[in-house]
Amino acid sequence: MSETTASPDSLTLDAAGELNAAITGIEGRLEVWASETGTALAALSAKITGTAVDKLIRPVVEELVRAPDGYVAGAGFLANAGLLGPDRSYIAWWQGEEMEHVDALANFSPNSISRYVKSEWFRVPVETGQAHVTGPYVDFLCTDEYVLTFTHPVFCRPDGPVVGIVGMDVTVQRLERGAMPGLRRIGERATLVNSDGRAIVSAAPDIAAGDLTAAEEGCSVYPAGRKCRIWSGATAL
Amino acid sequence: MLLTPQGASRSLAAVFTPIKSRGLVDEVCGRIEQAVETGLLTSGQRLPNETELAAALGVSAVTAREALAQLRTSGIIRTARGRNGGSFIADDVLPSRERALDQLRELTRLQISDLGLHYQAIAAACASVAARRSDAADMATLRSFIPTTEEDPLQWRLALSEFLLEVAAIARSARLARELIRLQADLGTLTLLPCADSGYRVRTIGLLEEVAAAVEAHQPAAAETAVKALVAATTDWLLTEQSQRY
Repeated sequence: MSETTASPDSLTLDAAGELNAAITGIEGRLEVWASETGTALAALSAKITGTAVDKLIRPVVEELVRAPDGYVAGAGFLANAGLLGPDRSYIAWWQGEEMEHVDALANFSPNSISRYVKSEWFRVPVETGQAHVTGPYVDFLCTDEYVLTFTHPVFCRPDGPVVGIVGMDVTVQRLERGAMPGLRRIGERATLVNSDGRAIVSAAPDIAAGDLTAAEEGCSVYPAGRKCRIWSGATAL
Repeated sequence: MLLTPQGASRSLAAVFTPIKSRGLVDEVCGRIEQAVETGLLTSGQRLPNETELAAALGVSAVTAREALAQLRTSGIIRTARGRNGGSFIADDVLPSRERALDQLRELTRLQISDLGLHYQAIAAACASVAARRSDAADMATLRSFIPTTEEDPLQWRLALSEFLLEVAAIARSARLARELIRLQADLGTLTLLPCADSGYRVRTIGLLEEVAAAVEAHQPAAAETAVKALVAATTDWLLTEQSQRY
C-alpha cells in the first residue's frame, strides 16, 4: 500500500493502524446492522409500516449515538421506493443523545422519495449495491454540521432489490478529536483525506477540513477504512 | 408538483429538524408552510392528525393542535369533518404575488438595504471559499441549479435560493451555510417579485453563469464580485419597486 522512501517506525504504524481500526470499526458495525436489518425486515410477515420500521431501527440508533466516546452523531434507515409504497420513502433517522427524530414530517408526504434520490449517501448504495462514504459535506438534512455519512444497502434477499439503506453520520469534529493524536505521531503534515484527496483532519496548520490537498512526494500512504487514506505528509492545493 | 429543479430541496431540510426554542406554534406553522412552498406537501394532501404531527416534530399535542388551528385561520389548511375527514392542505396556498407585495409594503428601505448588505457579506464569503474548494462534481451540481428563462417565478425563486445554498455547500462551512439559510428565511416570499420580471431573469442568468465560472476557475475575488452583483440585482429591484409606492 505505502510507497515509502524511509520505512516508517512502529509508532507511526501503530498510529495509522489505530485510525484505520476506528474507521473500519464504523464500517464493520454498519455492515452488520445492514444485514440484521435485512433479515428482520424479511421476517416481518405483515405489510411493512413506518411504526414497524421505527421499532426495528430506533434501539440500534440509541445504542450507537449514546456509546461513550462513540463517533456516531446520528444514524438511521431510509426506505427505498417500493418497501412502503411506490413513490414513498420512509426515514427512521435520529440524531444526538436526545434522539431528535430527523426529517419526520417528510414521512407524511407520498412523494417523499424525491427528497432523497439525488443524495449521494442514498443514491450510490442503492445504485451500486455497495457500501459508500459520502463527504465530508455540510449536512443540510440533519445536523447542519460538517460530516461524513457512511451508508450501506439493505437487502431482504441476497439476490433481491435494495430495499433501503442504513447509515451513520460521523461529524468531522468527532473524527478530529479521535484522529489528531495519531496524525501528530505520524507526521507534522499528516492528513486524513477522502478518496478525492479532500482533507478531513490534518495536522498541518495551513490545511483545513474541506481543503483539497495532494500527497507530498515520497510520503507514506495508509488505508483508513474502505475509502479514506492517511497521507504522512500533504500539501494544500 | 415539485418546485425545485432537483426534486429534493435542502432549504426545506433544516425545516424538519426538531424544534428547540422560539414560539413553538409559530415554528410548527412555519415548517408546514415551507413544506408547502417547496412542494413536499401539495394542495389536497391530508396532513397527519395532531397526535402524529406532535410525535413527528417532538412537540406536545397541545402545541400541534394550536398550530393546526393557526394554519386553518391563515388558510393554509382546511378541515373536513366526517368519516373521510381530517386536515388537508388548502388549494392556492403557494406563495403569491399578493403575499409578497404585502411583505414589501411592511418593510422600510432601510430594512431592505441592510438585509441586502448582510446577504451580500455572507454570500461573498461563501463564494470566495467555494472558489478555493470546488471540484468537478461540485460544478455539475451548481450549474444544475441555473434556471432557464421559461421557468415560472416560483421555480425561479427556489432555483436562486438553491444555487446560493450550493455555493455555501461547496465552501463547506457549516456556519456560513446556516447563516445563509437564516437570511433566506428573513427574505421570505419577497424574492418572488423580481423573479416575475423577465429583464431581471435575463440579467440574473448572466450573473449566475459568472459566479459559476469564477468558482470553477478557482478565482475567489471574481466569485465574490459576481455573487455580490447577484444579490445587489435583487436588492436594487426591490428598492426600485418599493420607491414607486410613495
